[in-house]
Amino acid sequence: MKEKNAAELMRLVNEKHNEALEELYERYIKLVYGFVMKFCNGDEEMTKEVIQLVFLRLWTTNSHYDPLQGGFVNWLLTITRNICIDYLRKENRHTQRHQEEHEEIAEPVNVIDQRVNTNVIEKAKNKLPKAQKKLIDLLYWKGYSLSEIAQLEQQPIGTIKSRLHQALKGLRKQLELEDLK
Amino acid sequence: MRRDCDYLIPYIANELKESENVAFEEHMKNCAECQKEYKELAKAWNALPFEYKEIDVPESLKGEVLGFVFEHDKGSSEEAFMAKIRKLFVLFKSQFTPVSTSILAILLLAIVGLGIANVQERGHQAQNNPIEIVATIPIKSANQSHSGPTGIAYIVQQGSEKKLILQVHELSGVEGSQVYQVWLLKNGLRENGGIFKPDENGSGVLTYQLAEGQTFDQIGITVEPDSNSTQPRGEKVAGS
Repeated sequence: MKEKNAAELMRLVNEKHNEALEELYERYIKLVYGFVMKFCNGDEEMTKEVIQLVFLRLWTTNSHYDPLQGGFVNWLLTITRNICIDYLRKENRHTQRHQEEHEEIAEPVNVIDQRVNTNVIEKAKNKLPKAQKKLIDLLYWKGYSLSEIAQLEQQPIGTIKSRLHQALKGLRKQLELEDLK
Repeated sequence: MRRDCDYLIPYIANELKESENVAFEEHMKNCAECQKEYKELAKAWNALPFEYKEIDVPESLKGEVLGFVFEHDKGSSEEAFMAKIRKLFVLFKSQFTPVSTSILAILLLAIVGLGIANVQERGHQAQNNPIEIVATIPIKSANQSHSGPTGIAYIVQQGSEKKLILQVHELSGVEGSQVYQVWLLKNGLRENGGIFKPDENGSGVLTYQLAEGQTFDQIGITVEPDSNSTQPRGEKVAGS
């Protein structure tokens, strides 16, 4: 198992080899755990439940990982993020009334973010204009859709889309600068 | 073209429906501008998750996650089996009206019931009532000087039932309605013991069910003009 690449492991997982899933867990749990903890704002119980669903998805999914479509990590994180968003949406349905009372478009504060920032991507993001950074946080880390953000911000969807476009472009530029350093 | 390119941002943000996704990927194949933009923007988008901090993963999580997955899977395969059974049942049900179903059920029950009764009956007889030959009676030609029909008769008993089985050879052929008739003599009285016709080799076999308690002293075989004789009308050809 140790010498197999992720694509081979996924094939074994599709054939229901328990050890292959265990190996994927060993390799990627740090990544998935860190990601989900940030998404769930440090809620450990919720993080555990989401991660259970992520690995269940890997185990039972019929959509196979295709190495030609991109790296395994991107694929895994896309699945993970989708499950986070689904989970949040489900949770929100139950707690919507509470939320509406407090609904304000404040800067999303993330417990994990408040730790020491040494992360490259975090630095790059922090150099973006405030509105763009907020958009990425709401969209990527809070699971709001583009149209939901347009509603929250009371701005046309086109504006939000082009803001995201600018944000990603800016981020890319910052990351390149980081690479040059 | 312009409108298609607008899908780039929601495409990157994973917000398109499956059909829109496919359509945009088709569009992108032929749109150099979108290809270039996508390459750049996707790189930034894919970098976003790495903003997280590495945190120590609790030791207990592995058991909780993998245990959950494998347990869930076990449950769902059982569910899938039950679902299949249910599906088959529904399919079966859709083929029959309640009336035909109940008729079928009754028929099935009857077949099974009769089958069991039959097997038991046979088993019962085979086990407790072996067929037994209780008497052997040689049959000799009536014409002592000449060779003629000879044979043998058995009385077989199975349980309380008795049968006479008679086998005669070297019978001469019968014509038209002629038959050989067997007579059972008891105290000088003759009783009909059945009729038979010989085959082309002159052999004949007869099985006759004896009434309960029926006994006889002698057997006689005659040639009768037809099968309606109540007393012998023809010549005696053989006997015990």
